Amino acid sequence: MDFTKTILPAHKQADCETLLSRFQEMDSVRFEDFTELWRKMKFGTVFCGKMRNLEKNTFTKEALALAWRYFLPPYTFQIRVGALYLLYGLYNTQLCQPKQKIRVALKDWDEVLKFQQDLINAQHFDAAYIFRKLRLDRAFHFTAMPKLLSYRMKKKIQRAEITEEFKDPSDRVMKLITSDVLEEMLNVHEHYQNMKHIISADKSKPDKALSLIKDDFFDNIKNIVLEHQQWHRDRQNPSLKSDPKDEEGKREGTAQESQRCERAESLAKIKSKAFSVVVQASKSRRHRQVKLNSSDSDPESGQGQTKATKKKRAKPAVKSAERKVSSRSKGKVRNVQKEEKSLRLSMPVITEEEEEHDSFNETEFTAPKRKRKH
Amino acid sequence: MRSALLRGEWPAAPGWPRCLPGDVVCRALRVTPRPLASGARATTSPVTPRAVGASGSRQGGSAANMAEDSRGGLACGRAGGPQYLAHTPSRRNFPEYELPELSTCVFHVGAFGELWRGRLRGAADLSLRDPSAPALSGNPGVADSGRDHVAVARDLGCSLEAAAELSTVCSLDKLKCLEEGEDPEVIPEDTDLVTLRARKRFLEHREETITIDRACRQETFAYEMESHAMGKKPENPADMVEEGELILSVNILYPIIFHKHKEHKPYQTVLVLGSQKLTELRDAICCVSDLQIGGEFSNTPDQAPEHISRDLYKSAFFYFEGAFYNDKRYPECRDLSRTIIEWSEAHDRGYGKFQTARMEDFTFNDLNIKLGFPYLYCHQGDCEHVVVITDIRLVHHDDCLDRTLYPLLIKKHWLWTRKCFVCKMYTARWVTNNDSFAPEDPCFFCDVCFRMLHYDSEGNKLGEFLAYPYVDPGTFN
Repeated sequence: MDFTKTILPAHKQADCETLLSRFQEMDSVRFEDFTELWRKMKFGTVFCGKMRNLEKNTFTKEALALAWRYFLPPYTFQIRVGALYLLYGLYNTQLCQPKQKIRVALKDWDEVLKFQQDLINAQHFDAAYIFRKLRLDRAFHFTAMPKLLSYRMKKKIQRAEITEEFKDPSDRVMKLITSDVLEEMLNVHEHYQNMKHIISADKSKPDKALSLIKDDFFDNIKNIVLEHQQWHRDRQNPSLKSDPKDEEGKREGTAQESQRCERAESLAKIKSKAFSVVVQASKSRRHRQVKLNSSDSDPESGQGQTKATKKKRAKPAVKSAERKVSSRSKGKVRNVQKEEKSLRLSMPVITEEEEEHDSFNETEFTAPKRKRKH
Repeated sequence: MRSALLRGEWPAAPGWPRCLPGDVVCRALRVTPRPLASGARATTSPVTPRAVGASGSRQGGSAANMAEDSRGGLACGRAGGPQYLAHTPSRRNFPEYELPELSTCVFHVGAFGELWRGRLRGAADLSLRDPSAPALSGNPGVADSGRDHVAVARDLGCSLEAAAELSTVCSLDKLKCLEEGEDPEVIPEDTDLVTLRARKRFLEHREETITIDRACRQETFAYEMESHAMGKKPENPADMVEEGELILSVNILYPIIFHKHKEHKPYQTVLVLGSQKLTELRDAICCVSDLQIGGEFSNTPDQAPEHISRDLYKSAFFYFEGAFYNDKRYPECRDLSRTIIEWSEAHDRGYGKFQTARMEDFTFNDLNIKLGFPYLYCHQGDCEHVVVITDIRLVHHDDCLDRTLYPLLIKKHWLWTRKCFVCKMYTARWVTNNDSFAPEDPCFFCDVCFRMLHYDSEGNKLGEFLAYPYVDPGTFN
């Protein structure tokens, strides 16, 4: 008999996330703004509705544990403040007697204290005050682990998903320079170069007076971004090994995993863009060289050719992307089997992806060549 | 075995009680009274060591340098296991997941408590005193709030005015969602909350389908078990639980394997204090096999209660992390773990070297454990209970603060009781074989019906039968 499963965890999670995302939209960390949302949603009424004592206790415990998750990394500062307010609200509006406590695991406590210090340093006094008040009200249970642990029969373990929208972006540079931005930059650059060709007296070579930027600026910025990615990854990985304390068991394990996948994906994206750029650049150079050597082919037909190959290129690119995804997931599965114990997957993607890219490039190279033969 | 454990499939391993030999209830049901010699049973089967091996196989060799029977030596020596040398001393006792969501790595209970206390020192988090502030001055309200503001300003490094403003900005009134006089039991009509809409649907469904709306007995019972000791203060201040004391939640599984328990093993949950001895938990575990009465008493039914197994066979052990903790408080106690250790050492079975220690010499603070990991309690020779420590935390003001009430039972599985065949009302106390009066063999009776049917008014035995005292597993309900 289960008396307590009338409300699924998903329901509670949906409510908490609605509140937190609205708080996020307000772009504020003020308690006043939070309470406004709280009252508007009548959030305090979650405890209403004829719950009997046992159910009330279980429900409250689960609600507090749920809210607590948003109070820890990897969530953004704002979400964490919101979670603190949410905990304060839930703790104080609960109908249990005595009140259910918020469980804090030893490994999370240092993080919590650091957060409190950040709040004080940044003079977010309302948030700091509320945390202080919760402590003074003895709202916490100081525990070994976030939840009670026990071996179970083949029961499926529910994994805590990380809500992407609330997550602190692991890499702000990546946020700024996305692959789309890079592509746009390349387009502008190409367009600019073409324009120079067109307006110059000698169509094949732009006027010296127009040479105002470095021709290889795009390659440079691409390399810098890739380098940064590499650095970021290297920094992340050893820190994982050397600092097991901050590792938050599975929850964070998956977070890191997903982070890494994400990073790998963006890295792959950039690389694919970058490589296609190389192809294009070299091709255009070749094109120009061809033009220099033999003057029979006119620039018009050359352009038409570029367009045609571009169209052609789109399809294999998509395919190879699919292939990449499947190979990645395969790689992951393999890895999971290998070290499923620790769940610390060590970057399964990169080497394989580089292989992928090589083949990808080959197809890129061969396709236009074949075309030229005709 | 090791990989099976790592895959989380341990119930399939031989350690699961399914394989335990002659578990108590089955024995009682089968009504096969055997000579209950503790030692004789302890040597019966090799299954017992395998059961321990299942939970113990992970510790291979880590305790090899452990000093036997020396309290400090065991507690500290354990920590020197090879796999933990890589960590710094403080890091080692940080509970971390070994298997996510299932169990932690090994850590020392007392050192873990010290880590927490070290972090909370000087703060009021652990205070067990009542929160009421002493009102000394004439108008305590103003003075108190003034003092509060000073404290807030000091803690947060803000001005006094800011502190005063904070207490109004962050007051709980701002969180009020219900108007005065609104009933908290009624779900508002215009709610946006998914949770409330789900609960409303559920309530409507219940209204349609259920005629009487009240908590069922088991639910009431479970809640009362959970909360009956909450916030209790001792009458004698000396019995007060100390600040910073640890509370462990221990699940003790029953050695009963009915088919209906295939998925959910029944268990009881007991809270113990870190400073309590293992023997205190041992004495608090109620199991029917301790109450069994061996022998046939059809001629002398009044003498039966004198032969309770608990008083006759006092040996028992706990198994935690490669060490057997044997109860040696009484001269007649035997070392039940000896058979298992000999079995494991007879061939190289890959379990490493097991250690033994005296149960009465160890408190829970002295132990190295994994949370969530299945350990073992064995008594009455072969009555084996899987023991899981699910949680450790610091004591809170709202907990039961009377240390005499610990170990504190807070959850118990509700077992069906076998009823008397005659009155069909009372729990069976006797079981008979070859009974000329009974329609069944074996047949169960409550004490009153048993005596009415089988004896005349002077207490003389009538007819032919064998009578054995029966202790129902549901006796503790």
